[in-house]
Amino acid sequence: MSSSTALAVPPRRRGGGSLYFTAGILISAVFVLPLAWEILRSFQPASAIISPPSLKSFSHLGLGNYRQLLTGQDDILRNVVNSLIVAFATSLLTSIVATLAGYGFGRFRFRGSGIAFAVVLVGFMVPFQAVLTPLFLEMHYLHLLNSLIGLALFYTAFNLPFGIYVMRNTFLQVPGELVDAAKVDGASTMSTLTRVLRAIVMPGIATTFLYAFLFAWTEFLGALTFVTSGTTYTLPVALSNVETNTYGAVNYGYLVAGAVIAMIPCILVYVALQRYYVRGLVSGAVKG
Amino acid sequence: MALTVRAEQLQPLPAEVRARKGRKKLSASARREERTGFALIAPAIVVVAVFILFPLGFCVYISLTNWPLVGPYHFIGFANYSALVHNSTFLQSVVFTLKYTAIVTLPILVIGYLLALFVRGNRFGATLFRTCMFLPFIVGITTLSFLAEVELQPGFGTVNVVLSDLHILSRGTVWVQSSTLALIAISVLVVWMASGLTMMLLMAGMQGISDELYESAGVDGASWWEKERFVTIPLLRRSIALSLIISVVGSFLAFNQFYIITDGGPGTSTVSVVMEIYETFNTAMRVGGASAMAVVLIAVVGIITLVQFKVLRGEDV
Repeated sequence: MSSSTALAVPPRRRGGGSLYFTAGILISAVFVLPLAWEILRSFQPASAIISPPSLKSFSHLGLGNYRQLLTGQDDILRNVVNSLIVAFATSLLTSIVATLAGYGFGRFRFRGSGIAFAVVLVGFMVPFQAVLTPLFLEMHYLHLLNSLIGLALFYTAFNLPFGIYVMRNTFLQVPGELVDAAKVDGASTMSTLTRVLRAIVMPGIATTFLYAFLFAWTEFLGALTFVTSGTTYTLPVALSNVETNTYGAVNYGYLVAGAVIAMIPCILVYVALQRYYVRGLVSGAVKG
Repeated sequence: MALTVRAEQLQPLPAEVRARKGRKKLSASARREERTGFALIAPAIVVVAVFILFPLGFCVYISLTNWPLVGPYHFIGFANYSALVHNSTFLQSVVFTLKYTAIVTLPILVIGYLLALFVRGNRFGATLFRTCMFLPFIVGITTLSFLAEVELQPGFGTVNVVLSDLHILSRGTVWVQSSTLALIAISVLVVWMASGLTMMLLMAGMQGISDELYESAGVDGASWWEKERFVTIPLLRRSIALSLIISVVGSFLAFNQFYIITDGGPGTSTVSVVMEIYETFNTAMRVGGASAMAVVLIAVVGIITLVQFKVLRGEDV
């Protein structure tokens, strides 16, 4: 790779392109092939999944697992819908509340804003995994256990610090003259936000929305703690019940197909909106 | 460098805000601005206060009592905390979590760094490769754990079949019956998943380094390795610290992969700290004890996150 001194090389070397590309495909395969393999496996009948993989075991691919999983006796369609409701409620609520707060923190001067922002930063430092016990007691008192709304509120709270941080930075980057001009034109606070600033702050909102969506769609421990009835289970909790099936043998066909259903929205949403995801990473306020 | 630009914006609000605190009378428009600003942040503050701050305070409070699920409670001082020192399953979970963190942290950093080197440029395909390498992280550890659970099954799991074809393990190996094998399997899974995140964080830092620095190093006759050693790594210190913090905190808070793949077994040998808190509350229903463990965890993670903010603000760690 480094022996290209013979020629006059431009700053960005073009040489070795095909070597680079081949290596890239091989390395990428390490990360993508296992996922693709599981998608393929999900089309195998359950009986083929539990026999050692061979060419023959791929001869009867079909939608059997999905059909049973979504329409069968103990279907998880309900749980998929629950997860969608919680994920969309969380991301909408987080985006709205964080946008308002980011607007307030970034564009308005008021007493107590320093303390309020400190509150947000403290919120950022508390791992949700550690406060589930007191939250369980509190949510029991508020009648928010076994409730999709309760779950969405909990997810919203823990996504807000990151969202507010992103939105505050977004509003701080808005040129002051733009806001002043809107004020001179007699625009109210809200119409300034919804008309004048909308296009400028949209990328920040997309970042906030995307993180909240992926968080709520994949979260497991909180849902396991706060939801104890089958009809309110989110998809990951329903899958953990498939896995620890008490009635008998685990249906591995179900498990693989269910996991693929959980996987697909993440990949689609990420691939479509990845530049907004990277914006969030660059802000540095990411949790692992 | 992208991170520094953002870090400046983290500084407190302008000085005018402070100056105004002293003044008694505000103009009508300034009063209105105060009210509007406050109204805008109020919903966020309420949600954060109810679902994060209150539970945080409540957690400390409960940890000082013998909280039962029903009936009255009493303050018992720090008894829950001193009991932790003698709680062998808790101590075992702490040791196990530290061991797990020690195993995965360096591989995640090194692999993430190498991947970042590979995809940082504008070469043909780099964007595609970046996306591919990040996909496992996006899919998330919960879903991946369910799939790993299937593929680690004796007899038909793909991992077992491939490793037995390579004559490394017998096809009938039951991974979760050995704490060592279970830890190896979960560590490989987590490194595979998380190195994509480190790659993205380090790549963002690398792209912030100006080409001119590399060019002038090249003029001085620096080799590829010398450029990395004397330009990239020093300028990347902040990004490296950040990705280390994120991965260590993530390891300290690990739960899903252990709950799903090993359920803490064999015995309690793969119970992580968060899982021990979960079990103490959900199974043993010892609310005070679980809260005391949680307070310790919050303190440890809080200190690490404070360091993260110092890094973001650009102070030296």
